[in-house]
Amino acid sequence: MEIFTQLALNSLIAGATYSLVALGFNLVFGTTRFLNMGHGAVASVGGYMVLALARNGHLPFTVSVFLAVLAAGLLGWLIDRLVYAPLRTRRASSSVLVITSLGVLIVLQSLLAIIFTSQFWTLAAPSVWFATVFSIGSGNITGLQLTLILASVLIFSGGWLVLRFSDFGKQVRAVGDDEEVARIIGVPSERVIGGTVFWGSAVAGLAGVLVGLDTGVYPTMGLLLLLSAATASIIGGLGSVTGALLGAYLLGFVENFGIWFIPSGWKTAISFGVLVIFLLFRPHGILNKEK
Amino acid sequence: MPYLVHILILFCIYAIIGISLNLVVGYTGLISIAHAVFSTIGGYAVAILMTFYGWNFFLAMLVGVLVSACVAWPIAWLLSRLTWDYYVLGTVGFNYVIYVVFLNWESLTRGPLGIPGIPRPTLGPLNFTSNYYFLILALLFATAAYLFARYLVRTSFGRVLKAIREDEQALRVFGYETTRYKVAIFVIAAMLAAMAGALAASFLRFLDPTAAALMDSIFAVSIVILGGVANLEGSILGALVLVAFPELMRFVGFSEDIAGQMRQLFYGLLLIIMMRWRPQGLMGEYKL
Repeated sequence: MEIFTQLALNSLIAGATYSLVALGFNLVFGTTRFLNMGHGAVASVGGYMVLALARNGHLPFTVSVFLAVLAAGLLGWLIDRLVYAPLRTRRASSSVLVITSLGVLIVLQSLLAIIFTSQFWTLAAPSVWFATVFSIGSGNITGLQLTLILASVLIFSGGWLVLRFSDFGKQVRAVGDDEEVARIIGVPSERVIGGTVFWGSAVAGLAGVLVGLDTGVYPTMGLLLLLSAATASIIGGLGSVTGALLGAYLLGFVENFGIWFIPSGWKTAISFGVLVIFLLFRPHGILNKEK
Repeated sequence: MPYLVHILILFCIYAIIGISLNLVVGYTGLISIAHAVFSTIGGYAVAILMTFYGWNFFLAMLVGVLVSACVAWPIAWLLSRLTWDYYVLGTVGFNYVIYVVFLNWESLTRGPLGIPGIPRPTLGPLNFTSNYYFLILALLFATAAYLFARYLVRTSFGRVLKAIREDEQALRVFGYETTRYKVAIFVIAAMLAAMAGALAASFLRFLDPTAAALMDSIFAVSIVILGGVANLEGSILGALVLVAFPELMRFVGFSEDIAGQMRQLFYGLLLIIMMRWRPQGLMGEYKL
C-alpha cells in the first residue's frame, strides 16, 4: 500500500505536466486541424529561458518565470505567423504542416543545444516552499510538484471558462468548427488562431519551467513532452479542452502504475502502446463522438 | 582521398535509405518517420552476430533483413489504418518505442554502451576491410537497390502504389486490397533499409541505440524531400547533398558537438524551407 500512494502522487504530477503541454497542443489542433510537433520544443524554451535569465542573467526568480512564459508564448505566436500562416494561406495539406513542424522541432532543439550545450541543466528555485516535502499518507510530494498540480487545475478551469463564456472562446470554437464559415460570418480567424497559439504556447512554456525546476532541462526534452501531450490529447479527444485534461491524467496513471509491473526504463514505451491502441481503436478519443 | 572514399561510402548507404523510403513516402504517400528503426535492426543483426558469434557478414545481413521484415509487417499492418498526420504521429511513436527497446534490452544490445569493434565483411578470398574495397561493395548494394526500386515502380504493383497515393478510396471501389499493398511496400522498404544499416554498422564498426533516434528517421525523410518526392534519382541526389554538405562544416572549425548541432539545424531549416517553397523537392514529381 505504501508504494500505492506514492505512485498515485507521481501519476498526478505526471498528469499535471502533460495536461499543461496538451492544452496548447489541443487548442492549436482545434483551430488549425494539424498535429503541431514543434509544440513541445516551445515548452522547453520556457525552461531554458529561466535558466538563462535567473541563473545566468541574475534576474529575480519570479520576473524570469514571467518573462519565460511570455517568451514561450511569443515564440509560438511568431512561429505560427512566419511558418504556418503562409502554409495555411496556400492551403497546404496537413502532411506539409506536420513535416514543417518536425523541422521547427529540430531547429529549436539544435538552437538550444548550440546556445546551452547538450548537457543536462538543473534550475534552482530560490523559494523554500518549492523544496518543502509534504507527506500525504505514506507518499511524499514537494511544494513544487503541488504547484504544478495546482497550476494545471487552475489553468484548465480558467481555460474552460474562457472557452465557454467569453467572446474569444466562442470565436475559437467557431473557427474550430468550420474555419471557412467562421470567416464568412466575420470572425477574424487568423487573429483567433494567433491568440490560441500564443496562449497555448505560454502555458506550454510554464510547463517547461515547472518541469525544468522539478527534473531539469535538456535540449531534446521537447520531443518527449510533445509525444506525451499528443498521446494525452488523442486519448482524451483532440480539440477538446476537457479531453486533454482527462487524457493527460489518465496517461499519467497508466504510465506510473505500469512501472509497478515492468522496469521504469520502459515507461515511455507504455505510453506509446496506449497511443497506438487509441489511434487504432478509438482515434476520436474518449470524449469526442465518432465522425 | 581516403576522406573522399569515406564520404562516398556514406553516400551509398544513405542513397539506399533514401531510395527505399521514397518507395513508401513518395510513391505510396505514407509519410513514415520510422525508417531509422529498420536500418538499426539490420545494424544490430550484423553487430551482434559478427562481433559476438563470429558470423559471416552476408549471412548476418540476411538475418537482419528478415528480422526487419518481421518487425515491419505487423507495424505496417497496424499503421496502415491511420491517415495523414495520424500516420506521421503513429510512426513517430513507434520509432520512439523501438528506440527505447534498443536502449533497455541490454542483454541483447548492450544498451547505451553500444557495440564496438564490429568487423568488416569478408567473403571467401575476398576481403572488404579496406575502405576502397568496402566502397565497391557499398556501390554494388546501392546500384542493386536502385535498379530493384526502379523495376518495382514500373511494374503494375508500382502503379497501384501511386494510385493509392492519389486516391485510395477509388482504388478500393475497384476492388484493390489497398492495405496489402501498403503493408507490402513498407516491408520491402524496411528490408532495404536493414541492408543499408548492416553496411553502415560494419563500415563504422560501432553501433549504439542513438542510430534509431527520431533524428535519424527525420534525416531519412529529409533525403527524400530534398531530392524529390517520388523520384528515385532525386533520392540519390538528396543523399549526396545531405551527406556532403555537413562535411563542409568540418572545415569551418566548429567543435564536434556544435558541428553536430549545426547539421541538425540545417536539416530542420531545410525541411521548413522545402515545405514552404518546394514541397515536391528538387526533382520531385509529386507535391505532398
